[in-house]
Amino acid sequence: MLNFPAWKVSLILIVLVWGAVMAIPNAFTDGFLGVEPREPQSNAPQDIAAFQDQMDAAEESWWPGFLPTSKVNLGLDLQGGVYLLTQIDPAEVAANRLETLQTDIVQALNRDPLIQRDVPEQQGTTLPIQLRNPEDMDEALRRLRRINPTIGATGSDRVLSIERTGPQRIMVSVSEDAQQALAADAQGTMITIIRRRLDPDGVSEVSITPQGDTRIVIEAPGEADPRRIKNILSQAGRLTFNMANMDQSAVNAAQATRPPPGFELLVDEFGRPMLVNRTPVVTGSDIASASQGRNPDDNSPAVDFRLNGTGAERFGQTTANNRGQIFAIVLDGTVMSAPRINEPIWGGNVQITGQFTLEEAQDLADIIEAGELPAKLNFIEERTVGPGLGADSIAAGTNASLIGLALVGVFMIIAYGLIGSFAVGSLLANIVLILGALSGLGATLTLPGIAGIVLTIGMAVDANVIVFERIREEQRNGRSPTTAVIAGYERALSTILDANITTFIAASILYLLGSGPVKGFAVTLAIGIVTSVFTAFVVTRWFTSMWLRLARPRKLSI
Amino acid sequence: MLLQYWPKSTNVRFMSFRLPALLFSAILIAASFALIFTKGMNFGIDFAGGSVIEIEQPEGVQEEDVREVMGGLGLGEVGVNAARGTGVEAIEVIVIRFATQPAEPGMDQDTAQQQANDRVRAALNEAFPGLNVRSSAAVGPKVSGELLRSGLMALAVALALMMAYISVRFQWKYALGAVAALFHDVIITMGMFSLTQFEFNLSTIAALLTIVGYSMNDTVIVFDRVREEARKYKKMEPDKVIDLAVNQTLSRTLLTSGTTLLALFSIYLFGGTVLSGMSFALIFGVIIGTYSSVFVASSVLLLLGLDQGEKQRREVEGFQGV
Repeated sequence: MLNFPAWKVSLILIVLVWGAVMAIPNAFTDGFLGVEPREPQSNAPQDIAAFQDQMDAAEESWWPGFLPTSKVNLGLDLQGGVYLLTQIDPAEVAANRLETLQTDIVQALNRDPLIQRDVPEQQGTTLPIQLRNPEDMDEALRRLRRINPTIGATGSDRVLSIERTGPQRIMVSVSEDAQQALAADAQGTMITIIRRRLDPDGVSEVSITPQGDTRIVIEAPGEADPRRIKNILSQAGRLTFNMANMDQSAVNAAQATRPPPGFELLVDEFGRPMLVNRTPVVTGSDIASASQGRNPDDNSPAVDFRLNGTGAERFGQTTANNRGQIFAIVLDGTVMSAPRINEPIWGGNVQITGQFTLEEAQDLADIIEAGELPAKLNFIEERTVGPGLGADSIAAGTNASLIGLALVGVFMIIAYGLIGSFAVGSLLANIVLILGALSGLGATLTLPGIAGIVLTIGMAVDANVIVFERIREEQRNGRSPTTAVIAGYERALSTILDANITTFIAASILYLLGSGPVKGFAVTLAIGIVTSVFTAFVVTRWFTSMWLRLARPRKLSI
Repeated sequence: MLLQYWPKSTNVRFMSFRLPALLFSAILIAASFALIFTKGMNFGIDFAGGSVIEIEQPEGVQEEDVREVMGGLGLGEVGVNAARGTGVEAIEVIVIRFATQPAEPGMDQDTAQQQANDRVRAALNEAFPGLNVRSSAAVGPKVSGELLRSGLMALAVALALMMAYISVRFQWKYALGAVAALFHDVIITMGMFSLTQFEFNLSTIAALLTIVGYSMNDTVIVFDRVREEARKYKKMEPDKVIDLAVNQTLSRTLLTSGTTLLALFSIYLFGGTVLSGMSFALIFGVIIGTYSSVFVASSVLLLLGLDQGEKQRREVEGFQGV
């Protein structure tokens, strides 16, 4: 038990030095370590100046490249930022998918020989089709089944269920199972689009992760106001060009009863009602790029975009055929603008003007460029911590840790004297190892996580105490110091393991089932248990054995 | 050093107090249940849903001014309270709370809650330009329901796993004693939260799980000794055996509780308001957990009967020589 051959000593030293090396970057600023600092949090002069200082320091840094530079990852509650949980509604994904499939359905039924039917009206996730002639039924079913797309990679499941519900009636719908599968499919697409919208330049630290099949978590460090993110993401970004009809009598008739089949009644930016054709000429997938621009008339902010080849061709053809008519630029069911076609627009360059601020125009351009979300994002949880509170929490947490450490250290030395100071030494090693492990594992430190470290400080001495109490007893039973220490460690081992495994179980469950800051608590608690068993059982024992060999005490004063 | 002056061997007849102690614990548990079911818990927004927004108190602005701004938003009852913010220096903050918002046409409650939060922010920014929002949170009822379920689930799973571990390492009687102590600690701590109306939130669940781990830790150490002594002194009265084991581990029990409490008090006093609820739960739990490992776990073990003579079933002489 007290025999430490050279290989054991080197192993202990390697672990301790590794911990220290991993932990050290936390003591220095980014600039000192030669790491490019984070973007300034605001345009305030002091933030810019601090950023510049760090840039300069990074240039002059002498920090050797082989040493680690990564620090403990701070949670949003410590560095400040926005956490948003969003929910995708499977029924909405399905309804949107069905809407886009309508074009295929219409085409399939229009093929020669034409199948006569009423214009179908979609109701949520169902689309009833009323045939004019019952003898077309078999052919209609055959054509619809052929265009039914598959879901997922296996290719065995279909999006649509196509059922005959009467002699002339076919019900096309999206089943519950298909809705779930579509939502899960949509989740990946949405994460990509959210990233493109929030981080068009690929520089920010925003993290976008799936949760379950229908949820997405968005974490934006350094962001102080959640409203901007919510604004950018709450728009589906479904941009279409549709032919429209502002003819007064037609609009009046529609307002009195209901719009004719295939049309809907929308209002433009001046509040003028118009009938908009539901089948778009151009959709989001026809747009090649979008950017913020200027209205040449009054230099006000506008959004420019360019259509791709097929989109430009189709748009040019339509404008050529419909000279003098109105077309509507529709974004998420709102008419952004409704210009009259004076001449054919070839080349595919289009501008949306309106009452935009510069920032709104930029955000809208990002939204259009990123593409259409398969469904609206519903925000169901928000947690924001301002930078002030984050900094205060770090300061308070650090204070509490240092005071806790000092109190426990003084207590141990008062209680056990010299051998107690060995325990304090291994306690310090323990903290270095916890910090090293947190940095090395890339784990996230949260405020409850700091509480976990402080709790570990208190509980880490437990293993030492168990051993010391055993040693005391053995010495009372008449053993010499060395044999008492050996017996103490031997008999305490199973107790220490039993006791710590139970706490480790609690920490693991907390990690698996907890979320956010609480998870951070579980991480530090679990790491702390492992490192404290190591430091108490190995490091303190090593200290004690060296001391026994060097000082050869007659009696242990514990 | 000082420990040299601690009596070499204490001889407290702990088990002679077992009936009063069990009665005392039973009363506490009954009272806790009564409190939990009548007075209820003061659930934070994690579990109840709703919003909390904390703003730095702008100069010359009073609670009433903020209340007035909130009054015009139609959010139902809104709590506006001045408080001291987390921080090394004292910061005056105002905390605004409102409950789950009703669903509106085309919008469920969760979304309505988010929009209410955004409206509050907009109104505050307009009324007090340059306002510093320290934190804001809005949790919809869907999410809060799930958080509560998963929190209780975590507690249940932890208790079950502890019981399984103890059953493997010790005899079933020990397991039953240990689990009785765990339920005792969890229920009484929850009763304490009901009594004081401290906010019960996600961190409290984390604290409860830690208490479960800590109390188990304590119990295992006492039981380890009980098993050892029971094997050594086959003729001794069971209550004497347990007394002996508890006395032998007494200074360790007190020392470890002492250092843990020192650390916890430093979080409670210096760790800021965000951690105060969690550290309160931990402090209370460590005290109750220390008490229960001696009086509840050991008393239950004694009531079930301590096996000393015959070979114990399922006993594993594990870990020695690892």
